[in-house]
Amino acid sequence: MVSIRTEEITKRFGDVVALDGVSLNVREGEFFALLGPSGCGKTTLLRVIAGLERQDEGRVYFDGRDVSDLPPHERRVAMVFQNYALWPHMTVFDNVAYGLKLKGLPKEEIAEKVRWALRLVRLEGMEDRTPFQLSGGQQQRVALARALAVEPEALLLDEPLSNLDAKLRLEMRGELRKLQRELGVTAVYVTHDQEEAMSLADRIAVMNRGRILQVGTPAEIYERPANYFVADFIGQSTFIPGTVRSASGEVYEVETNLGVMRAVPSTPGSDFHPGEEVILAVRPENLRLGCGRGSNEVEVKVVHVAYLGKHLRLLGEADGIRVVAELDKDSEVGSGETVRLCADPEDVLIIRRS
Amino acid sequence: MSRDPLILGMLAVSLGLFTAVLLIPMFEIVANAFWYQGSPSTYWLEYVLRDPFYFPVSAWVDGRVPFLHLEITTVGSPYTIRGDTLIISGVDYGVILNTLMVAVTVTLISTAIGVTLAFFFSRYSFPGANALRTAMMVPILTTPFVGAVGLRRMISIHGTLNTIFYDYLHLLPYRVVFDGLAAVILVQSLVFYPIVMINAYATMVSIDPTMEEQAEIFGSSGFKLFRTITLPLAMPGIEAGSLLVFILSLEDLGTPIVFQGSNAEKLLTYQIFTKIFSQTGLILPEGTALAFYLLFFSMVAFFVIRKYVALKQYAMLSRGGTWRPRTRRIGAARTILVYAVSLTILFFALLPHIGVILLSVADTWGPSPIPESFSLKNFRFIVEDHLTFSSVRNSLIYSTVATLIIMVVGSGAAYVVSREGGRWSEILNYLATMPIAVPGIVVAAGLFYTYSATPLNPVINPAYLLTLAYSVRRMPFTVRSAFAGMLQTHVNLEEAAWNLGASRTRAFFNVVVPLVLPNVIGGAMLSFVYCMSEVSTSLVLGGANPAFAPITWKMADILYSLGGGQFPTAALGVLLMSLQLAAIVGSNVLLKQRVSALVGA
Repeated sequence: MVSIRTEEITKRFGDVVALDGVSLNVREGEFFALLGPSGCGKTTLLRVIAGLERQDEGRVYFDGRDVSDLPPHERRVAMVFQNYALWPHMTVFDNVAYGLKLKGLPKEEIAEKVRWALRLVRLEGMEDRTPFQLSGGQQQRVALARALAVEPEALLLDEPLSNLDAKLRLEMRGELRKLQRELGVTAVYVTHDQEEAMSLADRIAVMNRGRILQVGTPAEIYERPANYFVADFIGQSTFIPGTVRSASGEVYEVETNLGVMRAVPSTPGSDFHPGEEVILAVRPENLRLGCGRGSNEVEVKVVHVAYLGKHLRLLGEADGIRVVAELDKDSEVGSGETVRLCADPEDVLIIRRS
Repeated sequence: MSRDPLILGMLAVSLGLFTAVLLIPMFEIVANAFWYQGSPSTYWLEYVLRDPFYFPVSAWVDGRVPFLHLEITTVGSPYTIRGDTLIISGVDYGVILNTLMVAVTVTLISTAIGVTLAFFFSRYSFPGANALRTAMMVPILTTPFVGAVGLRRMISIHGTLNTIFYDYLHLLPYRVVFDGLAAVILVQSLVFYPIVMINAYATMVSIDPTMEEQAEIFGSSGFKLFRTITLPLAMPGIEAGSLLVFILSLEDLGTPIVFQGSNAEKLLTYQIFTKIFSQTGLILPEGTALAFYLLFFSMVAFFVIRKYVALKQYAMLSRGGTWRPRTRRIGAARTILVYAVSLTILFFALLPHIGVILLSVADTWGPSPIPESFSLKNFRFIVEDHLTFSSVRNSLIYSTVATLIIMVVGSGAAYVVSREGGRWSEILNYLATMPIAVPGIVVAAGLFYTYSATPLNPVINPAYLLTLAYSVRRMPFTVRSAFAGMLQTHVNLEEAAWNLGASRTRAFFNVVVPLVLPNVIGGAMLSFVYCMSEVSTSLVLGGANPAFAPITWKMADILYSLGGGQFPTAALGVLLMSLQLAAIVGSNVLLKQRVSALVGA
């Protein structure tokens, strides 16, 4: 198991900057997700770690050892590709055994390790099948078994579940996490699916336009987004633009079109000065109907109410601002009504505009 | 199968044409091969196998040892040295084995060259790679017949190569002359390797790069990576190209005609050709037996392509993800090596073209590397000689009419195959590609035999049969291209028209035709040039009445009937090459794609 550190990695493809000075620490045995929209550079970063792309600037360290100049196979990592990259001219056994054969292991040991790896992914007895004879989920497991068979120090996964249907994807998530924990292997997981990243990873790095915008646990990322992009990309929020008026301790007063609102900085310790243009973000579950003393109040015209089982999702509008709220399922609200929604100051987060 | 009149009409017309011009003539030949003195028999097939000229193999079972003994009587040695000349002519194993041996050798050489070049161009990036790749495809601009005319001059005893490398540079210990079967192998390999190259290249660039990256992560690289991953994944394309070369080598009649005189005529196509007496419409039964064997070898290769290769469309497995072509920048040393290998091949591959062009503008050409004096008299001859000029005109007329038939019937066939399921559609699918696999000489012999007692008798006027033969033989180019267009034209587009009240016929002409027209025209341009350069049917059917003969018949006629006949023949060859170049460029512009999709199997 290794820790992985990238230091100021820059990678360009022609005029396009795919990675722009990316520094990252992945701890030993950690399940780490790279999350971001398409084209944000997450796959390129994974490929740089794997040694499949050569960075233009910066270094990659495994356990503090500089591996920047090592070819892929000397880094002792294994990768699972989005399309699985199973060799169609080989059987399941040959696919899984390929890496072991290249290591020059004796035949019996290869057979034993292949059996072990296939058992891990619950595909015993499928050795003689070809990839064509497997379902999507089974192909995915073979790809995983092939990666695990070589007992890599780090497992790199590039959107490995994106080609599976929703139900299978949920199932595989659980299995993947369980396997990673059992084996204790460091895993770097690329995805654009925030729910997948939140449910799988110990920590997440949110990326956009070749940069890392925030690194943190799923809770930190969700509850304390570092900037507008992260708050917008992860989950849903109501965003209210405003101008800082004054501060008293951690709580700021912000002038908005919906009135003066009391809010706290998204990331603790951030400092805002009076007159600074900011954005206030409120998560849907932090908006409620009954207002208490000292909470912020907003008058919202209800556009649509959706029943989601446990709760109601309210979509509304307040002075041109789109409002999303999750209300108790017994709440009595209907489309076209005007309601007052409230949020406590500690649930209204101040985010810098840029 | 739909009962729509448009579909039924298209099906009926295409099946009718293929039946009349391909299936019945083939059946006639096969039936005659199995006929002796008024009843079914394998007499002629056995007769051919008993004649050492065709099959010098004797087999017997030894009473004491229960094994089959085989003995092959061969004639000549691979090479002979006469004075200062090394003559490489190949060993004569009899007509049948010679044919197979030539085809196998040409296939192996073309495959080795084609795969090596495809690997260079699909995996390495180096300065000038695209230009070099295009240059390496130039040999496809000529047919073996035209190529052989040019190459014969270049490699003859006092030809350009010997003059440069033996007389001037003293680099060779002997004058080297390729003759007979060896010359046939040389010409065909040089002309056919681009077919493998294009197919292998197309497959190699379509291999999902993660397949190789995954292996690299495990430590595979270099030849190991090539052998275990790249080559097996590229095999469907390579096999398709190789088998196509095998078929083309089997059916080539032009090269043996050019190199006749030693053992080059001991090939099936040539032998069948000499068994057809076109003036009288008579075919020796022995000829039909030989045609049956040729057809058999060719059809086996065809069915292997259709069945075995089609099953292994590996690219289908890949899902999701995007990739960039995976090329590796190589250093100076390797770039030099790639250029050295490619340019050496290109040098030899261009010899036929250089030869034919030099011959066409030569006034006289003795033992010197290039002609002593130049002139345009050979081109003037084409215009001034009445029969030669009319042969060009005839070819243009036959090929134009054939191409029009091809466009209509080919588009119809492609439409039926792409839109309709069922047995008839499947049969049509087979028939539309089968002409690739039926040697021209078999079609020609069959047509001759079938229609000699009808008003279509080629002795009266071969124009009709020639036009029909061209249209069927060159149909696959257009069908493939039109089919590709049909697949890109989603059926929803037609359904939207039906939904608004258009009949199927109306929707076909309003929606499908405009969308696939570039594909049809692109394919038709290739069909046209291959009609122009068609050899075997032209020689057999055209020879029945020289007044109506096409250009290739005239080339063969001039080559051996006039003193210095190679010069005007070469001029006609250059004319064909120019047409071919124009059509391929035009077709590429129209289709905005590589030639691969059209010449590949």
